[in-house]
Amino acid sequence: MADDASDNAHEKPTQLFTLKKWNAVAVWNWDVECDTCAICRVQVMDACLRCQADNKQDECVVVWGECNHSFHNCCMALWVEQNNRCPLCQKAWVIQGTGK
Amino acid sequence: MIRCIFLVLDRTYVLQNSMLPSLWDLGLDLFRENVLSREHVRERCFFGLLNLIKRERSGDTIDRCLLRNLLSMLNDLHIYHTMFEKRFLHETEESYSIEGSAKRSSMEVHEYLIHTERRISEERDLCLACMDHSTLKPLTLCVEEQLISKHTEALLSKGLSHLIVENRIDDLMRLYKLFSAVKDGIQSLCTHFNKHVKNVASLIVLDVSNDHTMVQDLLDLKEKLSNIVTKCFSKDLKFVEALREAFESSINKRQNKPAELIAKYVDQRMKSGNKEATEVELDRTLDQIMMLFRFIHGKDVFEAFYKKDLAKRLLVGKSASVDAEKSMLSKLKQECGGMFTGKLEGMFNDISHSKELMAQYRQHVTTKKEGKVPNIDMSVNILTMGYWPTYPPMEVQLPSYLVKLQDSFKDFYLSKHSGRKLSFRASLGHCVLKSKFKNGNKELQVSQFQALVLLLYNEATCFSFLQIKSDTQIEDSELRRTLQSLACGKARILTKSPKGKDVNDGDNFNLNTEFKHKLIRIKINQIQLKESVEENTDTTERVFQDRQYQIDAAIVRTMKTRKTLSHQLLLTELYDQLKFPLKATDIKKRIESLIERDYMERDKDNTTQYHYMA
Repeated sequence: MADDASDNAHEKPTQLFTLKKWNAVAVWNWDVECDTCAICRVQVMDACLRCQADNKQDECVVVWGECNHSFHNCCMALWVEQNNRCPLCQKAWVIQGTGK
Repeated sequence: MIRCIFLVLDRTYVLQNSMLPSLWDLGLDLFRENVLSREHVRERCFFGLLNLIKRERSGDTIDRCLLRNLLSMLNDLHIYHTMFEKRFLHETEESYSIEGSAKRSSMEVHEYLIHTERRISEERDLCLACMDHSTLKPLTLCVEEQLISKHTEALLSKGLSHLIVENRIDDLMRLYKLFSAVKDGIQSLCTHFNKHVKNVASLIVLDVSNDHTMVQDLLDLKEKLSNIVTKCFSKDLKFVEALREAFESSINKRQNKPAELIAKYVDQRMKSGNKEATEVELDRTLDQIMMLFRFIHGKDVFEAFYKKDLAKRLLVGKSASVDAEKSMLSKLKQECGGMFTGKLEGMFNDISHSKELMAQYRQHVTTKKEGKVPNIDMSVNILTMGYWPTYPPMEVQLPSYLVKLQDSFKDFYLSKHSGRKLSFRASLGHCVLKSKFKNGNKELQVSQFQALVLLLYNEATCFSFLQIKSDTQIEDSELRRTLQSLACGKARILTKSPKGKDVNDGDNFNLNTEFKHKLIRIKINQIQLKESVEENTDTTERVFQDRQYQIDAAIVRTMKTRKTLSHQLLLTELYDQLKFPLKATDIKKRIESLIERDYMERDKDNTTQYHYMA
């Protein structure tokens, strides 16, 4: 139980410094292989151009296919209307998941 | 009497014979012909009149009654307008021409103005009292011409700057009033005003040694001049425009730096915030800053620095008032549109989302009670990458209980949001440490790096620089900065040996067990808020980088629509499109680079002609 020991060490009453409050900072981004959307050429972390223009940045999420390629969900929604294949690898497009 | 006696004759005979003038008119005619047509009589009369007026002007009291009667006589005889008025005006012109030149060189400008004003009102008085009222207009015109129009340039270049610098509201008001009466007076006043503002403002902007007061100085100057324009120049649009133009040209005489300094000035205000000023005052200051901001051509520099400082304020919790931040944001939105503020709004949203999420997380922890979680109040700000300035990730060695805490939160976060990656930025975290010194317990507000270093001292009281480095894994220059803040700052929790300002590889750091401080809560994390030199150059460089992309994009956009364009025309298009100051050499470089990348090509016969390549 090494972890427990260190936990206890943290709360030993005699020690000089004890951490009371910790304001940490973390950054999130989409877990993607390529950081630009191949359809609109905008970074997937930014909203696609259409959503930027309509001020819908918050709703613009990323979609992953089974092939592990990812795009803006709205860009892909328009794409599959014409061609139900992944624009990068031409495999049939099956959605693996969308970000939220 | 004669009239009474001959009244009957007049009524009965003369009226019926329309050829004959009335007796009254006849009398006047005869008098004119017989008395005043004689040269020397007339001359004596005129001379006497002019003499009277001259004496009046030089300050003697004269018999105004006599003057009035004589002049009305001339008027009745119909020779006032034809003969006297011209002489009179000529005389006036001469005397004031002499007086004007003499007084101008002997008097200070403001005295001269008072003098002129008095003269004009005196002439007006005299004219209204004694002369035919139709003379008033040419008379004033004549005096103004002699005393003001002839001397506009001299007066303005001699006295305007002085009056403005000393903020002589009354004198300036008088100046405006007098000058507005004469032709082109306002125009040249306006030109000189503009020149003066340019001089003063450029001095402030170009004075490199006074960078830290530049913004305050400009604000004060602007305030003072706006006041003058409102009070003295009756808010004349010409002057408002002249003021604006002068500021715009002066502030852009130096590139980039003013924008940066304005951003920092806002940062200062926002940090100190309500401690120094009330909400209303702060808002007023912000409005004034926005006025300066409007003049700036390179707004992107401001944006970059503002964003960087805002990020720090939000993350380190040093923002004085959220309302003020929001109001500044809406002002910027009005000014630059939603494109720029979109990301800033995103930053605010991140902070409020993080708060909600932390509340959920705390609930999650208490209901789950998984194992033993150390009793640390953790809160995490989760930033959306892209909204915030980029912070390079730095790997550091955390104590195992912190790693556990961090991982527990990470798991919680990823369970809420699929498809995301979360990485911590140790350089931005800050902590509160409880500490037990011999001389009393203290609460230290420290940066996460400082905390990591201090926590080491739970194990021993002395570490060498290299030991600390390997135990914390903090990046070299960051660690040096951190140690400096702990051992060389105001509150010295560590002591360095050998002593000195700089941290060297061989230095040892001892715990200062005798640490004393009059406060219980001590902030030593200001170091996080301070801007390092690297940060500054970094921000500026990023702005330049962005500008290059913008130039590229603008060139390609233009060439795509025009297909073929000469160098000159392309340049004019670019100057129209791009909103920051551009140098022709920079554009040339970008064009070269685009040619290399096959976006466009030079015409084979005409080297100043470009073709777009699809």
